Amino acid sequence: MSRRTGSAIAALLVASAAFAAEDVQVSARTDVDEVPLDGTLNLQITAAVSSKGDQPELTLPDLKDFDVVSRSQSEQVAFTFLNNAPSFRRTTVTTVKLAPRREGQLTIEPARVTYKGRTYKTQPITVHALPAGQTPAPKRRAQAGPPPPLPDPFAEEGSLDPFKDMHPESRDLVLRASVDRDRPFVGQQVTYSLYLLARINVSGIDKLQLPRLDGFWSEEVEAPQQLVQEARIIDGVPYRAYLLRKRALFPLRPGKVQIDPAEVEVMTGFGMLFSRSSTRRSSQAVALEVQPLPELRKPAGFDAGNVGSWTLTASVDPVAVAVGQPVTFRLVAQGRGNVRNLALPKLGQISGLRSYDATTNDKETIEQGQVAGTRTVEQLLVPERTGAIEIPSLSMDVFDPAQKVYRAVRTDPIRLDVHAGPANPSSASQVPAQNLLAAGGLRPIRLRMARVSVEPPPWTQSWFWPLLAGGPVAVAAIAGAGRLRRALARDPAEERVKKARSAARARLRGAEELLEAQRRGNASAADFHAEVARALTGYLADKQGIAVAGITREELGRELLARGHPSGTVRAVLGVLDECDRARFAPGGADLSSQEARLERAGRLLGELDKVRRNG
Amino acid sequence: MRRFALAALCAASAARAAVSVPPEARGNALFDHANAAYLSGDLSRAVAGYEALLEEGVVSPELETNLGAAYLRQGKRGLAALHLERALFLDPSDDDARADLLEVRRGNVDKLEGEPEEGGAEALARVLAPLPGRAAAVALVALWSLGWGLLAAYLLRPRPSLGPSAAACFVLAAAASLVTAGSATSHRLTLRRAVVVAPAAPAREGPGDRAASHFEVHEGTALRVEDEDRGYRRVRLANGLSGWVSSSVVEPVVPPGWSDQHRQ
Repeated sequence: MSRRTGSAIAALLVASAAFAAEDVQVSARTDVDEVPLDGTLNLQITAAVSSKGDQPELTLPDLKDFDVVSRSQSEQVAFTFLNNAPSFRRTTVTTVKLAPRREGQLTIEPARVTYKGRTYKTQPITVHALPAGQTPAPKRRAQAGPPPPLPDPFAEEGSLDPFKDMHPESRDLVLRASVDRDRPFVGQQVTYSLYLLARINVSGIDKLQLPRLDGFWSEEVEAPQQLVQEARIIDGVPYRAYLLRKRALFPLRPGKVQIDPAEVEVMTGFGMLFSRSSTRRSSQAVALEVQPLPELRKPAGFDAGNVGSWTLTASVDPVAVAVGQPVTFRLVAQGRGNVRNLALPKLGQISGLRSYDATTNDKETIEQGQVAGTRTVEQLLVPERTGAIEIPSLSMDVFDPAQKVYRAVRTDPIRLDVHAGPANPSSASQVPAQNLLAAGGLRPIRLRMARVSVEPPPWTQSWFWPLLAGGPVAVAAIAGAGRLRRALARDPAEERVKKARSAARARLRGAEELLEAQRRGNASAADFHAEVARALTGYLADKQGIAVAGITREELGRELLARGHPSGTVRAVLGVLDECDRARFAPGGADLSSQEARLERAGRLLGELDKVRRNG
Repeated sequence: MRRFALAALCAASAARAAVSVPPEARGNALFDHANAAYLSGDLSRAVAGYEALLEEGVVSPELETNLGAAYLRQGKRGLAALHLERALFLDPSDDDARADLLEVRRGNVDKLEGEPEEGGAEALARVLAPLPGRAAAVALVALWSLGWGLLAAYLLRPRPSLGPSAAACFVLAAAASLVTAGSATSHRLTLRRAVVVAPAAPAREGPGDRAASHFEVHEGTALRVEDEDRGYRRVRLANGLSGWVSSSVVEPVVPPGWSDQHRQ
């Protein structure tokens, strides 16, 4: 469908929208907070209405502390086509120059604006009048509170005249693209405007083609459906200027950027009766140099999306609640800039509060050519304990491109009073039963009373632990006494049995020494054999209880067999004893090597005899 | 009010009998008088009567149970919980006091979140508390001593029957020791147990009005007293949450008179 301006349908839409929206905004401000007695200040009262019909009527306050030096008024009518709905906005700015009459705190009472039978008031303003000749301090800039006033579009710092440096050189139709600033910061709004300058009659436009706006976040500001002309004299030549488009651009990256030319087809002539022709025009390209955000005093962790003039407010509703009942925490950022790129601070964990996921809602508006908006973050909080719970202040760093400074905006801490809820809040909503016999309720009281004495428990008594320890101690004492008694009362026969083996071994060592003495010629073989025989017979006497001297070899053999010794061992013992007897009583019959073998056999036999004894 | 009730009762009794009344009979009469007031719905008079008996030094689980019930009907949940806890301390098998205490706790403002810190010990103590801990302690001493005596006899003069008898004594002594340990744990925990009697009180980080408060405790909540300093008590809830509260807002379950006796 052709988007031809001047169509009847668009005109009807504009007319109906004008009646639909009647939003009224009234504000007053002064250009200084302090003024010397011999100086002046400007009081600016702004009334903006969303209708092009009636005009707001301003009544100045009673300025008893001031002299009115001058008064001027300007008016601007803006037409926007926002969200497919056209709207007019009429802004009347009344500037009154005032001179103070006395020193001290002076109050400018509220001004009244009457519009369609209703009266709107501005806020009172306090100004400090200084003695004459004193230099006033610069105007303070609040960090919190109401949003800052919108800038005067005719006096904005850095804004460029769209027709500056333009020389049409007698051309009849010129398509002019312009930006209001050519060195914006990243994230700062640049307003891109497209004007048609004509010296001939223009009946309409068609096929308007805007350039690609890569590297920008763009928002529509104005898209007139009707050609509205504005007289301009450029290089001494009168032109009619038609605004075709106005878009807000937010640069995303620093560096040099070029916006390509726009194109439009322009129809000239006088409608049906005169010949109409169309001609195509292109605008010039527009160059921008996007500046990075300054590094000087840049807060740590600064989010590059937080560019603009923003305020931050927080609220909790309700501020007094029963424990377990939810409250809504609302964080609102409001101001000028690209609200969609804003990064708001998050509410951390608060002791005693359970928080749920937050929901974010953005609302964007265009006010006097500036993109403004509101981001609202709502979060459900449920207190889990009673008492006062403080929701701490939240802070957000923003870069104000107009002031070229970073500043922190913060909310005030909020106190939430949590009280105890009813004990059984759900009981009222329950459907009563016919005869509910539920367990619970108070038991009947007791009618008889038994007195008791509070005695300390046995385990805290002094006798308890010693009595517990008494048993083990007594048994240990008895066992120890028995052992002592046994140790003190020794049996000589038992002693002998115990020492029999060691005595026999000692004798065998003596026989070994005698064997050595034989080698040196200091002892005889008879002595050696006598010692070996004594070792065996002594052992048999002490350990086995057999008196070898009084019995024959056969009796000795039977005794040993009766004690469980193997017959081989018995035979060997008897053999060794016989050999020893023979060697003792028939000298010269044994050499040293046979003696050594006998000594070894005797030692082995002692071990075998002892083994049987031990096993038995 | 309590003194007035006591004086009124004494005067009435004296006028009726004109003879001296033994203290025990006077106490029983006052208990009956307070019970009658309770049953007639005159809770203030009932409470005054029960409190007068307490001032007389009467220690009775029934008295504590009735006083707890009277306070609960007055809506004083903290004092109700305190006296019902005292009734259970005096008689752990008192089902009425236990049921009334559950009723008090059901309406408590404070609901604790998280695991109990001494869950195992508390549960064991709660299970074993109704068992006869004092009798078990005496039985423990007797069985233990008898077992060791039999063992000593076996060592001195071994006989086949002595060994199994000693073993049986030791098994029974082990059972008695379990009951005694449970009762001792319950007793130890009860000595440190207290109840919030004020409607609400801030729990602070330190013993002082200027210390920060992060939570509140409300009447009826049972807690453990861990320390005391300058009119403040450091208390710990069952889930480990702790803070300092004014000494006047919590009352120990075992009153000083009773606990002094325990420390003797």
